[in-house]
Amino acid sequence: MSKAIDLNATPVLSVENLALRFKGAPANIIDGISFAVRPGETLCIVGESGCGKSVTALSLMGLLPRSVAQIMSGTAMFGDRDLLELSQRAMADLRGNTISMIFQEPMTSLNPSYKIGDQIAEVVLRHKHVTRAEALQRALQMLDRVKIPAASSRLDDYPHELSGGMRQRVMIAMALANDPAVLIADEPTTALDVTIQAQIIDLIEELQKETGTALVMITHDLGVVAEIADRVCVMYAGHIVEDGPVESIFDDPQHPYTIGLMSSVPSVGPRSGRLATIGGMVPTIDHMPSGCRFTPRCPFAQANCKTSPPPLDELGPSHRAACHYAPLETAFPATVLQEAGS
Amino acid sequence: MKLPTRDRIIETRSLTKRFTSNKGLFGRSVSVSAVNEVSLDIRRGETFSIVGESGCGKSTLARLLVRLLPASEGAVLYEGNDISSLSEPEMRRLRKDLQFVFQDPFSSLNPRMTVGALIEEPMKVHTSLSRKERRLKVADLLTKVGLRAAFANRYPHEFSGGQRQRIGIARALASGPKVIVGDEPVSALDVSVQAQVINLLEDLKAEFDLTLVLIAHDLAVIRHMSDRIAVMYLGEIVELAPNDPLYDKPLHPYTQALMRAIPIASPHGRSMDVSLTGDVPSPLAPPSGCRFHPRCPHATSLCGTEKPVLSDAGGARMVACHHWEKIAENSQGSVREPPRSENAEKRFALFREKSQRQEPVTAATETQIKLSERSHNNA
Repeated sequence: MSKAIDLNATPVLSVENLALRFKGAPANIIDGISFAVRPGETLCIVGESGCGKSVTALSLMGLLPRSVAQIMSGTAMFGDRDLLELSQRAMADLRGNTISMIFQEPMTSLNPSYKIGDQIAEVVLRHKHVTRAEALQRALQMLDRVKIPAASSRLDDYPHELSGGMRQRVMIAMALANDPAVLIADEPTTALDVTIQAQIIDLIEELQKETGTALVMITHDLGVVAEIADRVCVMYAGHIVEDGPVESIFDDPQHPYTIGLMSSVPSVGPRSGRLATIGGMVPTIDHMPSGCRFTPRCPFAQANCKTSPPPLDELGPSHRAACHYAPLETAFPATVLQEAGS
Repeated sequence: MKLPTRDRIIETRSLTKRFTSNKGLFGRSVSVSAVNEVSLDIRRGETFSIVGESGCGKSTLARLLVRLLPASEGAVLYEGNDISSLSEPEMRRLRKDLQFVFQDPFSSLNPRMTVGALIEEPMKVHTSLSRKERRLKVADLLTKVGLRAAFANRYPHEFSGGQRQRIGIARALASGPKVIVGDEPVSALDVSVQAQVINLLEDLKAEFDLTLVLIAHDLAVIRHMSDRIAVMYLGEIVELAPNDPLYDKPLHPYTQALMRAIPIASPHGRSMDVSLTGDVPSPLAPPSGCRFHPRCPHATSLCGTEKPVLSDAGGARMVACHHWEKIAENSQGSVREPPRSENAEKRFALFREKSQRQEPVTAATETQIKLSERSHNNA
């Protein structure tokens, strides 16, 4: 691991058994997930569309209306406060201040009719007792830190005058302007080209090293995960199916979904035959399987998978997977497979 | 590397596409060369990919190849005949051979037509099949792309992204084409669905003897699928090479930078490197000389003044760089993926074996969810 993170340090953000349901839905969209992130640590939440990863982020930020998204259970401890219990007003004091967020699409998350300098200054003015001039000074300093060339002349630019990569830098400047303890980044590089993605990831890592901010990165890209994560949570249909240190997840993947996901990504190395695929598709909220939610698509599924949800079992040092049959090679020895196949 | 004409299915000669934009209220119109003097050959039966970052002109080039856009200058030859000067009726006949799959499966299918009608439409235009024969072929095509024949009566909104892309592919196959051009056909899809569609395209290519032209930005997908690859930068091809040599030893500094920027899916290969600073310059005012020179770490004064031509670099490769020979000596752009751990390999093999055994079933499973939904509703 490139950075030293104190595993005994108290997490800055600790989510326990969070379950969330949209009003009128027959099942929980997020169903009892737990994770924690420590100062300076990068936690990646990885999964495909519809697995609930963005909903998790939005609910932590208090950006989902409580009338629509009902918290069914759980706590999200941020210091000694439970984010899920906070009033809208108390949440607004935290948001952009000690906990902030970067979104996927930098064009739609910036206000097109305000200068970028003013937009960054606004975040500072909202939370700190400073004058407008001081806030603008801070904005300039932040633009410099996110390496926008000729920052002083860019303060008066409007978002449309910037490229996609530059807009994402502005978003990062805004999110970090108040030195937050936690930064949640929802697919921050998905809309960017690969060379620009490399620049942004590099920037995020560098700033994180300087500030010690805890980073929760939401992504579907296993390459990005391998590049930046310290710990990884793999989400499927509202459950965390596997979590652990990034090396364990890649070197010792245990859940059939993690294994399937990894083997269905084409490699940049020489071609090694046909891609493996996960059959079927992500279940809709109306048809959530009971038991393990991956059962209908799992090539290893047995009768009990349909009925009993597997617990997240410890399989290695802080490495857990929710599968009745992990490790798979023990439950399904290769010889038995061949016999059954012939 | 001149090939006999019969081996070249599509050729372009100094193909250029300019778009004009009006600058300001009283300003003069400005023209952008989205594609600038591109010459390439696409061989019969190969998978030819065009890769580049947004705005490099790859989608415009794809559309020019099948004349979905008229060229400003230069020529596109299909089986040796220039298609740029064909009349509309002649072109329409040719579209039977040249089909296109679009990126966005949500906006490229008419929401008011049933899936059956969508797939049948090209047959009505291009074939003399009877109504009954067409219906049978629709059912056949739907099965071929891994959907149920019964889906013909449904509308596009009833399907997931991956299923819609399968419908788009079935529609492209309906006229019995020889070439399919796919503009980012899998990039809007989730990883697991993406793998299904990639496998499908490969199977169909073999079954129908297709030539595949793929436009993509995902260098891993391109590595997996292509025979030859053209790398574009600001409207021009900077490098053209067979698959393995390009990834093992990229010659052009831009290709090298692209390769180094790929995040490798292994925590032991944290190698992603920011070798390219800055953004792609505006195509409204492309840099003089080599269009890459302001971002190039190897640029000299020559690069600022003189444009390098795409020329033979040996081994069926072409590169447009003044200094490629010098740069190639210490090429550092190659992509190396660290080997996977024993445990990972073992479980990948197990997953593959188990899921392949189930594959005939899985094609149906994809649809079972929707079907069971149906039967519930009907009941």
